[in-house]
Amino acid sequence: MSEAAPEILYSERWTIRGGDFDHGGEVAAAVKVILRQFGLPATEIRRLSIANFEAEMNVVMHADEGELLLEVLPDRARITLADRGRGIPDLGLAMQEGWSTATPEMRQRGFGAGLGLPNIRKNSDEFAIESTVGSGTTLRYAVRFAI
Amino acid sequence: MDPDSHSIRFDPARCIGCVACSQACPTRAIRVRDGLAVLRPELCIDCGACAEACRYDAVLTRTSGAADLQRFRHTVAIPSMTLYGQFGRDVHPAQVLHALTRVGFDSAYDMSWMCEMLAQATDARLTDDRGPWPKISVTCPAIVRLVQIRYPELLPNILPLESARELAAKMLRRRIAAERNLAPTEIGIFFITPCTAIMNSILHPVGLDESHIDGAFGINEIYGPVLKAIKQDGGMDPDARFSPSGLLWAMAGGEIAGMRNANTMAVHGIRDVQFVFDRLEAGKFQSVDFIEAYICPDGCVSGGLTVEGRYTAGRAIQKVARRVGAQPPSIREEQVRTLLREHFFDLEEEIAARPIRPATHDLRQAIAWKREHAGLLDRLPRRDCAACGAPDCTTLAEDVLRGETTLDDCVFLRIDRLEGRVAPEGGN
Repeated sequence: MSEAAPEILYSERWTIRGGDFDHGGEVAAAVKVILRQFGLPATEIRRLSIANFEAEMNVVMHADEGELLLEVLPDRARITLADRGRGIPDLGLAMQEGWSTATPEMRQRGFGAGLGLPNIRKNSDEFAIESTVGSGTTLRYAVRFAI
Repeated sequence: MDPDSHSIRFDPARCIGCVACSQACPTRAIRVRDGLAVLRPELCIDCGACAEACRYDAVLTRTSGAADLQRFRHTVAIPSMTLYGQFGRDVHPAQVLHALTRVGFDSAYDMSWMCEMLAQATDARLTDDRGPWPKISVTCPAIVRLVQIRYPELLPNILPLESARELAAKMLRRRIAAERNLAPTEIGIFFITPCTAIMNSILHPVGLDESHIDGAFGINEIYGPVLKAIKQDGGMDPDARFSPSGLLWAMAGGEIAGMRNANTMAVHGIRDVQFVFDRLEAGKFQSVDFIEAYICPDGCVSGGLTVEGRYTAGRAIQKVARRVGAQPPSIREEQVRTLLREHFFDLEEEIAARPIRPATHDLRQAIAWKREHAGLLDRLPRRDCAACGAPDCTTLAEDVLRGETTLDDCVFLRIDRLEGRVAPEGGN
């Protein structure tokens, strides 16, 4: 039995540039504004915003470029964030809290507590990560909301 | 919501329909219609940015009048500490309190001691309160309203302790009633306010059913008479005791400076507040315990109803705090602990969200509107000139969607049409 493809009600894409600390966080903010316009529940918006901010800053700090795709479905908001970059050699390690490769400069800006990926997983209802060393990382996560 | 529920309104005789106020408004609550500024009350946070921006003195602020004083057997003035910084560095706050009794109030009381008590209560609450972190102070009512409207997700971060001015009024009413053998309702407590936001918080309190304060006068309204009384008389209130750390609450950073907990931040000015609150919503700053936030750039000394410039006022307040510093400490920790146990400091009610226009609860409908909005915005020049009466193109597109106006308001589109570059506009 094949499941019908879930209906995508809305989608929008943003490009995130690696090293662009000046604009870091703006995509997460833009997504938040949109979800609020859609009248989604505050708790879910907050969770997805936390995940988006972490994911966006990961691209800013570690990758060359990334593309964030927001898809709103009838029962969830889904994010796909694919980046071009060096990839993550040991996903198991990266998913551990406190593990970080952040440079001193990043830490000075308040990042690099190493909570990025676990924090994204904690704040989403679906989470998947694929990474190829030398080519990049793709994150897929979603928050579900009651309708 | 009733426009009268706000403490600002526009004077049609003075308003020339320029868009300075509309563009200054942080919540985009003002439109210019038929050459006059109009308030969208559901968006207004009473911050006073419009009054500050208006070059024609057309923003009127609603405060109490002399008739309000007549309603009570005994009238009390409680000045914002900001008032002490309005008369230069050599006027003692006890002189200011005395002067207030010469200009129409039966008595006047200081509230800096309550600020010091509240700082201790805040420290105590932070050690046993639960997240989410950081907690946000309710001292600035415009901040509370901004959270209600723009940042409803942050409502659980608001520390549920009442503001020092409300607490001072609550305590003083009990004390004065007992001392003077009056019924509590016979006492009229009036706050001398640096801003419209506090005025409105008295008329329409948030987090408590009814304000403990009966009315407010702007510092700018009583400044002249008080200055005159200080010069003519110069007497001091012999009983007044001031808290040096409490006095500093007139300035940004004063609230956290008096706390034991040093894991705090002071954020001031609407732009910085929005910067920080946007990040709070994204889960940042969770390691901070407490945020003191003011909508005005330097806290209350920069309030819209003050007379003295904020730098001069701030300098005067610091001198005043030094001068009273020699007094013996009057706040007993034991007393604060007792009041904490009695829940004296607690907000009475939960603060509700007032989110902007939940246009629809239907997701598909909301998405359709969003697409329509993007389509409208595509046709607009995006110069944000505000000549249409809305502060920017995005807001005009929203107003068109709501059916309040049409794209004909846009002067650029009208010029294009006159010059035959686009087809005549039909509906929107």
